[in-house]
Amino acid sequence: MTEQVFLILALAAGFYMAWNIGANDVANAFGTSVGSGAITFRQALVFAAIFEFAGAFLVGSHVSDTIKGNIVSPTIFADQPLVYATGMLAALLAAGIWLNLATYLGQPVSTTHSIIGAVIGFGLMAEGLDSVQWHKMGRIAASWFVSPLTGALMAFLIYYTIRKVVLRSDHPARRATIVLPVGFAATCFVMFFSGVVDLLPRLLPNLKGSALHATAVAAGLVTALTGGWVAWWYGRTATMAGTLEEQYHLVEQRFGRLQIITACYMAFAHGANDVANAIGPVAGVLEALKGNIAAKTAVPTWVLFFGGLGIVIGLATYGYKVMAAVGSKITEVTPTRGFSAEFATATTVLVASLIGLPISTTFVLVGAVMGVGFARGFGAIDLGVVKRIFLSWVVTIPCSALLSALLYVVLRSLLA
Amino acid sequence: MQSINQLFGESPFTHMVDHVRKIHQCVKLIRPIAASIMAGETDKLRLLQDDMSRTEYEADLLKDEIRKNLPRRFFLPVNRDDILSFVRQLDRMADDAEDFAVVSTFRKLDIPADLQPDFMALVDKVVQVSEMLLDVAEDLARLQKESFEGPEAEQVLAKIQQVCHMEWESDKLSRRCARHYYSATGLEAVTIILLEKLCKALTGIADHAENVGKNLRLMIIRR
Repeated sequence: MTEQVFLILALAAGFYMAWNIGANDVANAFGTSVGSGAITFRQALVFAAIFEFAGAFLVGSHVSDTIKGNIVSPTIFADQPLVYATGMLAALLAAGIWLNLATYLGQPVSTTHSIIGAVIGFGLMAEGLDSVQWHKMGRIAASWFVSPLTGALMAFLIYYTIRKVVLRSDHPARRATIVLPVGFAATCFVMFFSGVVDLLPRLLPNLKGSALHATAVAAGLVTALTGGWVAWWYGRTATMAGTLEEQYHLVEQRFGRLQIITACYMAFAHGANDVANAIGPVAGVLEALKGNIAAKTAVPTWVLFFGGLGIVIGLATYGYKVMAAVGSKITEVTPTRGFSAEFATATTVLVASLIGLPISTTFVLVGAVMGVGFARGFGAIDLGVVKRIFLSWVVTIPCSALLSALLYVVLRSLLA
Repeated sequence: MQSINQLFGESPFTHMVDHVRKIHQCVKLIRPIAASIMAGETDKLRLLQDDMSRTEYEADLLKDEIRKNLPRRFFLPVNRDDILSFVRQLDRMADDAEDFAVVSTFRKLDIPADLQPDFMALVDKVVQVSEMLLDVAEDLARLQKESFEGPEAEQVLAKIQQVCHMEWESDKLSRRCARHYYSATGLEAVTIILLEKLCKALTGIADHAENVGKNLRLMIIRR
């Protein structure tokens, strides 16, 4: 009986978190593409739904493992699985409440930071300082600093290269016919590699280690080369004459098409990393209920499916409003800039997802936008907003930890 | 977490073009004013001076708008000080244009017929400098969208060079005028003083226009 209550509560809370991610966070991933006019609002919704789900379903397990197993040590709870289940439930509820509160107050809070603060809070309350695996937590915290910097550096280099190679030349349109397929191929490669490297072991359990990676690289390369060739073939007959201004316009227009792909890539990466914030704790509860808490079992496929579905429903019921609001205000981002920022963000987030590091997509995107700004890409970037995002991160961890500790105590007395 | 859109502050560049446009509107007024001086239309000069005064005031509002929209927390693709000094120099152009209008209303001037062509040539040159500057500023706003890069940047730099060249030409014209009215016989001293003031205002406009151009060059070449 208790077990069923736990399961239902965990699924409900997990669904609520996933809904929140779909409702509030997806907009940022797509905002730059919608804002630049690269894709219409309707297209954005459909693509966001498909690729968020795909990312969550295909690559979502790594970060989920981190959240359920690498923050508080599950082995400590090996002989009292219900404590662990209660704690994970408390963490989910705390993160959800904190998110709602922050959104209500208009503060930019990340789901990633909320859930991790909440898991730490429960661990500290239940078993004290030793329950948290600080060395692993340190790695995660470090990634919160490194990931925006990586995004910034990558976006800077990409935009700087586009500037120097395409925009600076006397024939921007001709240069673009080479640079665009390269960008397309790179996007295809990373997306397919990460999808395959995760999907294959589930289809072919025998494929492991280097053979798996070789297959994934091969799959990525084949797609990249095919995609790149198709992109080149498609663009080879484009007009290359005209005044410089017409050519710039043409280049931006064609980068706009590429941005459809990078927007999907963003959604894929976002789904891959953020679904864990919702289903990581749910998977933890499931394991605890089965009694095999210490064994690091893979996240069940149906849980990933459930998380992906939650995100899509959040997007469909509320996220579209946020997306329209975010997108309509970003007119500064032209397709070349949008492509640079999105590619850098998505690649950083996706690589972090494969390593199992829970990072905030918005943090990385802010870093990437700054990177383009360093390449003189934007008229004015408001550093006050950057500061506010940073501050709300610093505040989120202790707040959600405290909330989760409180909820844990309440839940424990209720369920005891 | 809808904050990505808030990350983008209001870009100062479109406002800067608006400002230059308004300044050029002031400078353009010196042509009808000069014509009215020649024709001795004192009443019309009063009206034109009112016109100038109003336009200069509107330019001041635009200037304040730019300064207000330039908080230190903004991360800009150009040096913030370059923008501020750009605005300051433009403001001085309008001030000099207004001076020209005001001086013209002090007293009815009798300018000898043989001086008139030289004076009008100077007026024309100064208006041309301002016109060229407006052209450059409009390019700049577009250039910002292309991150100050490419062959187009080279073209704009060449135009700035032209502004500087035209300023030099206006200097030569003003010297010619000065030689003319100082050496003319039969001119009243007060007329010479007023002519001197008028020419000084005209060269001032061209001087400041050149400085604006140099400012723009700094913005394009490096941050």
